[in-house]
Amino acid sequence: METISFIVSLLYQYADTIGVLALSAIGLIIIFGMMGVINMAHGEMMMIGAYITSFAYFAGVPSGIAVVFGAVGAGLAGIVLERIIIRRFYGQLLSSLVATWGLSLLLSQGALLIFGPQIKSVPTPFGSFALAELSYSYYRLFMLGIALITIAGLWALFRYTRFGVHARATMQNPRMARALGVDTERIYALTFGLGAGLAGLAGGLLALTANIGPFYGMSYTPQAFITVVVGGGADVITGLLASVLSLGAAKTIFMNQFNILLGHVAMLVLAFVIIRLMPAGISEWIERRRVRVRGR
Amino acid sequence: MERILAGLNGPNEMGRHWGFWLGVLAVIAAGAAAPDYLSRYELLNVSNFLTSVFLALGLCVMWGFCGILSLGQGAFLGLGGYAYGIAGINFIESHGHTWAALGIGLAVPVAVAAVLGFIMFYARLRGVYVAILMLVVTLLLETFLNQTAGQGWFIGDAHLGGNNGLGRFSGVIREPPALDFGLGGDIEFNGRTRAFYFLTFGLVVVVYLGLRWLVNSKAGRVMIAIREDAERTEALGYDIRLIQLGVFCLGAFLAGLSGILYVSWESFITPTVFGVQNNILPVIWVAVAGRKSLTATVIGTLVLLWLSQKLAVQGNYALVVQGAILILVMMLLPEGAITGAVARVQALRRRFARRVSA
Repeated sequence: METISFIVSLLYQYADTIGVLALSAIGLIIIFGMMGVINMAHGEMMMIGAYITSFAYFAGVPSGIAVVFGAVGAGLAGIVLERIIIRRFYGQLLSSLVATWGLSLLLSQGALLIFGPQIKSVPTPFGSFALAELSYSYYRLFMLGIALITIAGLWALFRYTRFGVHARATMQNPRMARALGVDTERIYALTFGLGAGLAGLAGGLLALTANIGPFYGMSYTPQAFITVVVGGGADVITGLLASVLSLGAAKTIFMNQFNILLGHVAMLVLAFVIIRLMPAGISEWIERRRVRVRGR
Repeated sequence: MERILAGLNGPNEMGRHWGFWLGVLAVIAAGAAAPDYLSRYELLNVSNFLTSVFLALGLCVMWGFCGILSLGQGAFLGLGGYAYGIAGINFIESHGHTWAALGIGLAVPVAVAAVLGFIMFYARLRGVYVAILMLVVTLLLETFLNQTAGQGWFIGDAHLGGNNGLGRFSGVIREPPALDFGLGGDIEFNGRTRAFYFLTFGLVVVVYLGLRWLVNSKAGRVMIAIREDAERTEALGYDIRLIQLGVFCLGAFLAGLSGILYVSWESFITPTVFGVQNNILPVIWVAVAGRKSLTATVIGTLVLLWLSQKLAVQGNYALVVQGAILILVMMLLPEGAITGAVARVQALRRRFARRVSA
């Protein structure tokens, strides 16, 4: 019984960790992989999603729909910001990094000035189950499910829809895409909006488990960034999955055996090891192997 | 003498005209006489502002001259400050070993930078990844130090103190001591003294001139070549990894110096120095002033520090305003406000001269 409960708790922690990692990184990796922009205001997009979710919930909207509001709101905010600021920084990686960091400061400090250091948090739905005196929340497993569904949905979106084909064409060769009649400006705005909306979704979902304040998103962004760096930009979905599964394993084991700080340290150390071996991320490494096999 | 001046006056830094150097001399003279016309409070403030200039200059050389952006310079400032503070509590008060504390305060950030830089640059990591990994490193250091409030976190006589800061432990406070070079008498280098002001001001002048010489030397030209096109520089036979590593360590050294002076000024340091805000500020100073100029960086840093203090009096607007300034400058004058303005004036002057001659 003891071993079983240990295994269950480890698996539960793993599911929880990779769910949170995938959710918090997915919007970031879309924007980085597709657009080559590192969005330092990612955490603030999560914060916007969380704030809208909380406001909607306390205005009487059920929490599931409130989260959707959060995602849509953050997505719209993302489109507006792309049109005003981000579009000036395409192709200038470091400048986009610095400008979006300024945006992050502006949004988080602005939220602090307007709404104060904390807003009301939304209760966690679904209840919990208990095993060997440890209690497990269903909601955290639900988040992993949502993360997996989102990843599958994105894969289908980029693979099968008209938008997906246009988006991939724009990212590979914007001038050629424009010559063939693709409205690349619109694609850029929509892709950034999609990334921001996914950040908002993550923010809204995680808002149901945590205290919400202006710097709420910032606690998730470092690990989201590590996930993106390890995953690389060559193939967004493969990179995200490989990175989340490996980093999540390192974090879970060290968190379970020691404490949460060592969990984070283990993730960072593993990230350094991986990028030492595969400097452009796991997805680029896989891509190269695949090309080589196909070449034979 | 002429050769030294020529070394300072190369093409890689603005201000080569004799008028500019007259201005520099005037600023040095004004700075040296500052304690005579500034109030004690103003001098205390200026001393504080000056301690940050090294941090900014380090980032300026890394990012503006060698193309290495780090979002985690606060890590090296904090490591320098903590290492100096810990060594100071153990060595300075009891034994008077200022130089040992100073040396440890500089060695720790440089050693950490050497290890991290070795991993990153020898893996030929892309620039953005370096920037972000440094941010992650500094945030982890913040998390680590925040949980060191317990009984077990003593290094010699120094208690790490968690989020209360170095040396604060259950009512007992052992502050990190000020620098003390054994000059005897009342000469102590804490923030309230003239001695500290002269030390910091002198160091700013020396570091500014030294870096000017560096960026105009042969090594400086290679640094700029790496910034412009790393692959081509490598193809010409330069070991870019080694140069990037060296510049990274130099940046850490200067950030560490800022940390040491800050701790000596304030007799206090907390994990917030590793936090996001403390890391974004140097990026704002350098980006807003003009990352490709040491002169602009010094001026911009001091102006922005002064501005944020003025704004802080009005309410919590300092960071919002600085975030907005950063975005606006990046959009309108991507090379920085001061260097951008100078470039425009020069272009106007050239056009005017052409019209006159025609």
